[in-house]
Amino acid sequence: MVRIEHNFKAMGGPCCLRLDADDDAVAGVAIAAAVAEVARLEKKYSRYLDESLTSQINRAAGAGIPVPIDQETSALLSYANTVWQESDGLFDLTSGVLRLAWDFKSGRCPDQLEIDALLPLVGWDLVQREQGNVYLPRAGMELDFGGCVKEYAADSAAIQLRRHGVTSALVDLAGDMVALGTPQGNASGVSGWPIGIRHPVEKDKALAGVHLPEGGLASSGDYERCLHIDGKRYGHILHPRTGWPVQGLIAVSVLAEQCLVAGSSATIAMLKPAGEALDWLDNLGLPWLAIDADLNCHGSLAAS
Amino acid sequence: MPSRKDDLNKTLVALTSSAFLLPAYQSAMADAPPEFTEIGMRYSKYKEDDLSAKKTINGVRSERMDIDVAQFHLLAPVSDDWSVALDVGWEDMSGASPWFVGEIRDGDGDPGVIMSGASIEDTRTEVSVTTRYYFDSGTAGVNYTYSDEDDYESKSISLDGSLNSEDGLTTYSASLSASDDDITPTQGTYPTNTLSATKDIRSAWIGVSRIISKRALVRFGLSYTYRDGYLTDPYKYKDNRPDERKEWTASAGYRHFFAEQNAALHVDYRYFDDDWDIASQTLDVAWIQNVGQDITVAPFIRYYTQDRAKFFSVVINDDNDSDYFSDDYRLSSFGAFSYGLRVNYEIGNWSINADAERYQTDESWGLYSGEEAPALVDTWRYGVGLSYAFR
Repeated sequence: MVRIEHNFKAMGGPCCLRLDADDDAVAGVAIAAAVAEVARLEKKYSRYLDESLTSQINRAAGAGIPVPIDQETSALLSYANTVWQESDGLFDLTSGVLRLAWDFKSGRCPDQLEIDALLPLVGWDLVQREQGNVYLPRAGMELDFGGCVKEYAADSAAIQLRRHGVTSALVDLAGDMVALGTPQGNASGVSGWPIGIRHPVEKDKALAGVHLPEGGLASSGDYERCLHIDGKRYGHILHPRTGWPVQGLIAVSVLAEQCLVAGSSATIAMLKPAGEALDWLDNLGLPWLAIDADLNCHGSLAAS
Repeated sequence: MPSRKDDLNKTLVALTSSAFLLPAYQSAMADAPPEFTEIGMRYSKYKEDDLSAKKTINGVRSERMDIDVAQFHLLAPVSDDWSVALDVGWEDMSGASPWFVGEIRDGDGDPGVIMSGASIEDTRTEVSVTTRYYFDSGTAGVNYTYSDEDDYESKSISLDGSLNSEDGLTTYSASLSASDDDITPTQGTYPTNTLSATKDIRSAWIGVSRIISKRALVRFGLSYTYRDGYLTDPYKYKDNRPDERKEWTASAGYRHFFAEQNAALHVDYRYFDDDWDIASQTLDVAWIQNVGQDITVAPFIRYYTQDRAKFFSVVINDDNDSDYFSDDYRLSSFGAFSYGLRVNYEIGNWSINADAERYQTDESWGLYSGEEAPALVDTWRYGVGLSYAFR
């Protein structure tokens, strides 16, 4: 049994596959399949790539012609619709366009006028989805799958590993993680892969140690990109109806069977006002960890 | 360890079930034609234990049936959405089977079996062709099977289809089959109950299966079979059965994959009832254990119990004046356990499998009460197979 670690870059961040396998050749084939799966999803859904389906859909916005989509995309949009409903409209795949008003490197807040100009382009309920195609009715509208594709890719990569005979692995796509089995030679007696959840401010410090059982862990935070103006903190998580940063939690991590569900749950919590978010996470029934603006830890994982 | 709420949150259920519709999570259930041509050969042996001296009327131990089976299998993709399969089987049967049950055995006064004598020799050839079409939301198949042996010829056709629900989690299945059989008993020492007869079988089945979580699936099925024609065993001395039989079954199954153990649990239950008053129940439990990447080991156990047919008697008296009667142990009440092991080993494009199964019966193991038929049989079955995929 050997531990193999494969590092690569995808979906805008550092990725890593760690696996315990009997045989180098088998591991090599499995890794190649997992990496290819992540690359496939990036190529298909990245809004930065002109040839991606996302770019095609966005280019066709307001042009009057629905864009044909495959079953996977249709299922992804249905999933996004469920998250939109369950978050009372806070999770919105069309809200990415608001970033045009917010330049977090500039150190300035946008004018309300700039935001007002973009708000009509935001609205999941405007998106026309029919059997086999999708259409954004207003020119300038954009879909951004950034809020779910990385998590879906982590799940898909893990499924590829399992399909190629790997029974023990940890997939890490820039913080979105999926574990299969338990690492070999694990003497602690605790099943699952040991993972440190990073402290949002003190980068080198782990906030909590978790043994990730079979399933996914996703984190959402706005400590990476934010503005501090006149003592007020503006995170990059924008409210889809106001266009302004949400004054909520600064980091949330959730564990779920599917990394995709963990990721959506963390994102919904980030979009809610802090107090409401903590109650919502508590009721959700999944293991979670959250940091509020005063750097206090909350959640079932905080105590462990 | 992280704690989990006992009651599932509505939002969590909505998110999880919606995520399920994504193709990645459904890889296990995708309906896809085979990617490669596969051929396989298999040899198996079925052997009935000798009938002990205590059960025969003359106090002499008797051999029973012995069947050697060779099978050939070919499965090939024709196009992206179409496959064809060919199965050919040969069986060589020899031995003796119960002729009738005598009223009084010498010595202890228990009923005793009179065997047919080691006179049965037959071979059977079966050819079966299946073609299947795969469409976006399901599959449809047609099968034709022809089987021929010295005293029996059967031609059957079946149609089946499956349809996946919009959300991809539920599969509905249905099938219809019909067979026309000709019976021409081999004439030997003993007179047979008929010289030539026919029998028709019509059967319908509906089923539904649903994925209920990432690792669990449930399924339910209902079937109806109608047999019409000569249903009597032509070789048994005291056997006359109705020329019609209506059968119903209801079944339920559960599959659960345990990721930590890399194994799956299969539990299946079946209830059967017919208008001969034979009710039966079957419980199957199998544990399919993956060992490393190439080996699967699957121990299984099955419990079966049935009630006797309304016209069954352990001994048919000579002064019997019923319309229908039989002393065939297969129509008696009994319970049976079978247990065994299946092993599969994949090496490159080759796959080797082997299995062994022991089947044991006893009247006292049954849930239905009745008298024990002395001819109840215990059997062994074992086989080895080899298949190759042209990747």
